[in-house]
Amino acid sequence: MSEKTNEKPGSQESYDPFESWRKARDAGMEAWAKTMVEYVNSDAYSQASGAMLDTYLTGSAPFREMLEKIMVRALDQLGMPSRADFASIARRLTNIEIRLDDLDAKLDRMEASRVESAPPGTGRKQKES
Amino acid sequence: MASATFDCEQVNAIPHRLRTLQDVLGTRAAIAQTPKQPIWTLNKATLYRYIPVVPAPKRHRVPLLLVFALMNRPHILDLRRGHSFVEFMINRGYDVYLLDWGSPGIEDQDLDFGDYTLEYMPRAIRKLKAISGCREFSLLGWCIGSILTTIYAALRPDDGLRNLISLTAPLDFSNKESITFARWTDEKYFDVEKVLAAFGNMPAEMIEYGAKALKPVENYVGNFLKLWDNIDDPRLVDAWHAMYTWVTDNIPMAGGAFRQLIIDLYRENRLMRNELVIRGERVDLKKLRANLMTVIAEDDHITPPCQSETLPDQVGSVDKETFRIPGGHIGIMAGSRAHQSTWPHIDAWLAARSD
Repeated sequence: MSEKTNEKPGSQESYDPFESWRKARDAGMEAWAKTMVEYVNSDAYSQASGAMLDTYLTGSAPFREMLEKIMVRALDQLGMPSRADFASIARRLTNIEIRLDDLDAKLDRMEASRVESAPPGTGRKQKES
Repeated sequence: MASATFDCEQVNAIPHRLRTLQDVLGTRAAIAQTPKQPIWTLNKATLYRYIPVVPAPKRHRVPLLLVFALMNRPHILDLRRGHSFVEFMINRGYDVYLLDWGSPGIEDQDLDFGDYTLEYMPRAIRKLKAISGCREFSLLGWCIGSILTTIYAALRPDDGLRNLISLTAPLDFSNKESITFARWTDEKYFDVEKVLAAFGNMPAEMIEYGAKALKPVENYVGNFLKLWDNIDDPRLVDAWHAMYTWVTDNIPMAGGAFRQLIIDLYRENRLMRNELVIRGERVDLKKLRANLMTVIAEDDHITPPCQSETLPDQVGSVDKETFRIPGGHIGIMAGSRAHQSTWPHIDAWLAARSD
């Protein structure tokens, strides 16, 4: 049994220069991906990536600490707040927000109890649509 | 007889394709476009209410609150117009809310699961109830968001939670051989305290690298080849652009929460063993009584199915269902077939329990 094709005798088939590259690429990609997934799931990878991170953190720690000290001292000399000062203010603001939220909750409860205790048809809050 | 000719069009199209590539890689797609309004904020967290499109009488009575992971933007739930879970649910008559955690700063490095589940969530939920006028609500947690919703649901079972949807939830860490992140963060190789001492929070770049390194060839090479292969198809380019915009916009994870995730969960599996203690309260999963749907992505390499499939056996819920679906961690909710598979299933399950 022969396959039907739309190709007419004498017709010219266009040649996509990238098609052969794509085929070769796709053939290799799957195997490469599988190998890499196996590698990242190995103890060897965990150990290597952990060691790299640890080396970076250990090596950069003295510089980070020195930079931090210099920055704090410089900002202090200039009379400007440091990162720690900003962080402290931000935390205090969050605490104020929490207090405000507590007040909001109390107001909501008071409003709800007022509406519940009001006689029908008087002062009932219109439900938002 | 056929003969081959050199296809000049392929070569002539290269400059146009390069321009498209440059546009896609150099710009941000318009994502998270569904209209919404902020109704509550605390620190970096914001509770949004999506503007309903279905008239109030025809809407489901019980509102739905979406809680996404801590280290990614929640925009994936509302990726792009015409392909958005949020848009889909609004059109199906739900009153939809989103709790966006925001991006933690250095001042938030001590925030932990206790802060998120017992400080932020109850307050946001109180506001949700006040706005919706309904004492009951549904929760949908995705990825780390489902850790938070599960903890909340177990610690506050009488707070009105009626339905809990747990999407690709990393909850059970007992099968360490199947969880790549568990290998990488093993105490033999990964010093969590050293990382947090250096950065305060877990940097977004490290989280992004970790997620991509699980499948390095696909993420660093294959993904871009896929774009190049389809660069003449505007529909696929738009979809790729939206996803790329989301994937490359990660946020740091608060140090305290990251520490708990690694030590209490990845290493010690405390949640599933009912040994996790949040602000002095033990998280007993048997106390979780809300109707539960666990959604498992069968090809999930970030949260393998073994991390979610044991949840229904641990909880006290009577009405519980597990929905397994072919696809990956993100693909089941944001992939091209999500609107035909995952979303309608969630809608059908929730609709039956939301009036």
